[in-house]
Amino acid sequence: MAITEKTPLELGPGDTARYAERPLGVFTRPQEGRGWRDWLSTVDHKRIGILYGASAMFFFLVGGVEALLIRLQLAAPEGSVLGADVYNQVYTMHGVTMVFLFIMPLAAAFANYFIPLQIGARDVAFPRLNALSYWIWLSGAIFLNTSWIVGGGGADCGWFCYSTNSGVAFSPSHGVDFYAIGLQILGIASLVSSVNLIVTCLNMRAPGMTLMRMPVLTWMLLITQFLLLFALPVITVALFLLMFDRLFDAQFFNPDAGADPLLWQHLFWIFGHPEVYIIILPAFGVVSEIIPTFSRKPLFGYEFMVFSGIAIGFMGWGVWAHHMFVSGIGPISVAAFSLSTMFIAVPTGVKVLNWLATMWGGKLRFTVAMKFAVATVAMFTIGGLSGVTHSVAPADTQQTDTYYIVAHFHYVIFGGGVLGLFAGLYFWWPKVWGHFLNERLGNWNFWIMLVGFNLTFGPMHILGLQGMSRRIDTYARGYGFEFWNMAATVGSLLIAVSVLIFMWNVVKSKRDAPHLPPPGPDPWDARSLEWSIPSPVPTHNFDTVPQVHGRDEWWHTKYAENDEGQVVRVATTEEAAQTGEATGVHLPSPSFWPLAVAVGLPLIGYGLIFNLWLALVGALLTIASLYSWAMEPVDDPDAAHDHHEEHHEDDDADPDEESDPR
Amino acid sequence: MRFATLARALSWTPALLVVAIATGCASDAELDTFAPQGPIARELHSRGVLPVFWIAAVVFVGITVAMVWLIWRHRVSSYEGDDEWPAQTHGHVPLEVGWTVGFLVTMAAVAVIMVLSLPTVDATEVNKMKVDIDDRSVEWEPTVVVVGNQWWWEFRYYFGDQVDLADLRAHGDAKTLPPADIVTSGQMMIPTGEEIELIITSRDVIHSFWIPALNGKRDAVPNRFSPWKIEASDPGFYFGQCTEFCGLSHSRMRMQVVALSPPDFQSWVDSTTQDAVEPTDPAALAGLEVFSGICTSCHVIEGVNDDVFERADQASGAAPNLTHFANRSTFAGAIFNTYNADGSLNRIQLEAWLRNPGDLKANYTVPGEQYRGMPDLDLSEQQIDDLVAYLSGLGARPADWIIEATQVE
Repeated sequence: MAITEKTPLELGPGDTARYAERPLGVFTRPQEGRGWRDWLSTVDHKRIGILYGASAMFFFLVGGVEALLIRLQLAAPEGSVLGADVYNQVYTMHGVTMVFLFIMPLAAAFANYFIPLQIGARDVAFPRLNALSYWIWLSGAIFLNTSWIVGGGGADCGWFCYSTNSGVAFSPSHGVDFYAIGLQILGIASLVSSVNLIVTCLNMRAPGMTLMRMPVLTWMLLITQFLLLFALPVITVALFLLMFDRLFDAQFFNPDAGADPLLWQHLFWIFGHPEVYIIILPAFGVVSEIIPTFSRKPLFGYEFMVFSGIAIGFMGWGVWAHHMFVSGIGPISVAAFSLSTMFIAVPTGVKVLNWLATMWGGKLRFTVAMKFAVATVAMFTIGGLSGVTHSVAPADTQQTDTYYIVAHFHYVIFGGGVLGLFAGLYFWWPKVWGHFLNERLGNWNFWIMLVGFNLTFGPMHILGLQGMSRRIDTYARGYGFEFWNMAATVGSLLIAVSVLIFMWNVVKSKRDAPHLPPPGPDPWDARSLEWSIPSPVPTHNFDTVPQVHGRDEWWHTKYAENDEGQVVRVATTEEAAQTGEATGVHLPSPSFWPLAVAVGLPLIGYGLIFNLWLALVGALLTIASLYSWAMEPVDDPDAAHDHHEEHHEDDDADPDEESDPR
Repeated sequence: MRFATLARALSWTPALLVVAIATGCASDAELDTFAPQGPIARELHSRGVLPVFWIAAVVFVGITVAMVWLIWRHRVSSYEGDDEWPAQTHGHVPLEVGWTVGFLVTMAAVAVIMVLSLPTVDATEVNKMKVDIDDRSVEWEPTVVVVGNQWWWEFRYYFGDQVDLADLRAHGDAKTLPPADIVTSGQMMIPTGEEIELIITSRDVIHSFWIPALNGKRDAVPNRFSPWKIEASDPGFYFGQCTEFCGLSHSRMRMQVVALSPPDFQSWVDSTTQDAVEPTDPAALAGLEVFSGICTSCHVIEGVNDDVFERADQASGAAPNLTHFANRSTFAGAIFNTYNADGSLNRIQLEAWLRNPGDLKANYTVPGEQYRGMPDLDLSEQQIDDLVAYLSGLGARPADWIIEATQVE
């Protein structure tokens, strides 16, 4: 397939016949190295995971600043920090940023990094697609945020962007155009990634790793990928229609031309409700790994945990209209969706009790990771129960679109999702970086975040029940909103402090690492395969692909139960762990083409909004890059027989050099 | 670490909050959802809201107590030198089936609550009251068409059979509704003891009509006519706020319902079915002239320009009907009081509004495009004074208790 240059080539010093037949020019595959440019061409699932994670944390700060602006505006009645117009943009972009640019990519970071490690694979099924999903995601994220600069402001229609308010007549700036196109780009990234990870889970498991032996994190991430796979096409359709309405005067959502504005709501929430589970299931997975480890017990009821996750994944599709109880969809639909919403609480409740049963009779060691994990269960329980209160459709007519709902979903998304992922960060940090995060700073981070979180979102329950409407840029005196709004603003500042402590922790831990003993492969005495290999993880992951005999394979390598049912150690970590010293492992070669494809997409976006010629340029770049990708040799023939680590020294220099036709 | 102890204590706030909510914490909040004032809202509250809150509270307390007990009981500070592992329980199927069924039963109970309370908000009893209009007595099945606009509510009263929900749904258009007997905005007058059927729609974007003391909310969706209802037991003043995000000034789109005793309601009908009074004093006459020159392109005053009015420049194609402006104790989307607490005209606010409405309520007034919100009209101080003189004479001053109830501080 590759276009190759057959003529004899000049050999460099030390080169042998390995350049005798080289792919031509740009079709040469770059090699793995350690310079910054290698991050642009990497296809290593671990590096891509780190890229996802780092970018997600950056956007966490962006979304966090937006959140603080919201809270400052609402701290006191008749606030004038932002003004109505900017407030609407900021709250919209806060939601979009936190959902699409923070939690989803942070979960993607965990998925990319740990699915292959947990199933005993050396990489994902399609390494270049993996790189493609990251670069497309990043290009979409940047594109979306450039609307602040070139689009006349951010989208101002709310993350749900209901028709008809999203039409040009009611939102004349380009903000909504950037929203419609930006989310389509981000959707491509998630789709690519979901296909890749599903195939990875199904096809790349180590021998003996049956589906019912997969760690629960991997299971929850797999379910998440299926949700992404089916949910994103729906929102893409809706966004596509919206884009045509706005840019090319289509009439899909124009009521004057006979459209029903509820069409958008159905499409949006058929995506939007599974999206909630896309956000929360990875955190459930993380918690299911951490609680057993720090309880010294296996997860209670593995099968129930897995099947309740699957049940949530299925039932998540049948509840979307509970976002529309007051839209006028009629009593039969309301009753049906009210019922389905109630029953999705069953598998979720089962999960909570199974986590508690895991802790029951265990030896609970409260590392920072464990604190975050247990807090996740506690806070999610509150969010889940407030959800049950407005699953009763008549009650919801009082609660929907008030701050009660804002409180509810922040307890689910922040209390469940974000605290859960922070638990994961503290837990797996030594695995990824080879050093711990500082536990003392971690404790400050945890307690301030927990208090700040409850102080911010707890009072919103009261505000909502007192009748404070959502998405209002200001409120009048005398409605009893003053005190709790001020409390919420103070709480949000505490959350900001805790995030700063986390960032300081990242820096300080890195700085202190050389003076501290390294964590070793298995610092927490944990259970799944990623702890059987060195920290940080070597490029090739596993020296030898492990043979799996049961659940918690790594734990069973270290421990066994004697006849009296007592746990006895059969091997030390040092004896059992892999050393990471294997050589000659065949690894996929890096490629620049995913990046090139991704660069084309925002150009198409800008082009659609400002000048169609630019869209043509972007389309040509994308198509040309896809063709080039296809023409690339499957592999760098040279990399196959050498240990990668040894390549670095000489090839580190300059990937461009490699691309030169010599 | 002392801070950690403090923080741990503070982390109990959620539990306290739930207690606070369960005991009905809100006191004088005008929009309080836990303070129903009419039979529909009361039934909704006692049948739909409270039972599920209690169930949620019990489950919450159960899980939290279990969790705290677990943490307290099984906590160890370190695994250092501890080689003893607890019993390795992998699960317990009967137990797990047990709590799955337990949750199913709990949710079935919640489902029963839902099914029982669902009709409270939706069912419509057929009731009729007598209303006199223009010396004619009619049987009125109380119906008000509620129309959302950016950013104010219009209330249209039809005392005959000019509108019908099924007809409206088949070929109604919110922008060209049949002429109504009374058209008012911001403040809806209703008779007490009657279930008022509302037909809710919108002329531009989606809004949501909500008077928490009288019922839950219902969206106003363009191209849709949704039935809803409210009822107040006693004469009183009930506040509302648009709850579906509707653009720039969503936060400043409010509404009020004033429940009047049937005789008071009748006299309100008597006065508001009249055309606007003709001004006599020179300032008001000058104000009428300003109105006819400038305001008339958007606003209607019955007896002045209703026969020539075509359509406003607003995206919604409508602006509030001003025929009985002074009869309402609120203006500009129910965000400002027309009168001061002492009953005098709130001249300062009214003048400020006419001077530059955009300063007081965000609007969108780009020349060449449809306005959203009231534009800055560049009125001179003289014109403003004249307009105030004219507008303040349109309609009878409302009762003192209404003026008083409008003041929120």
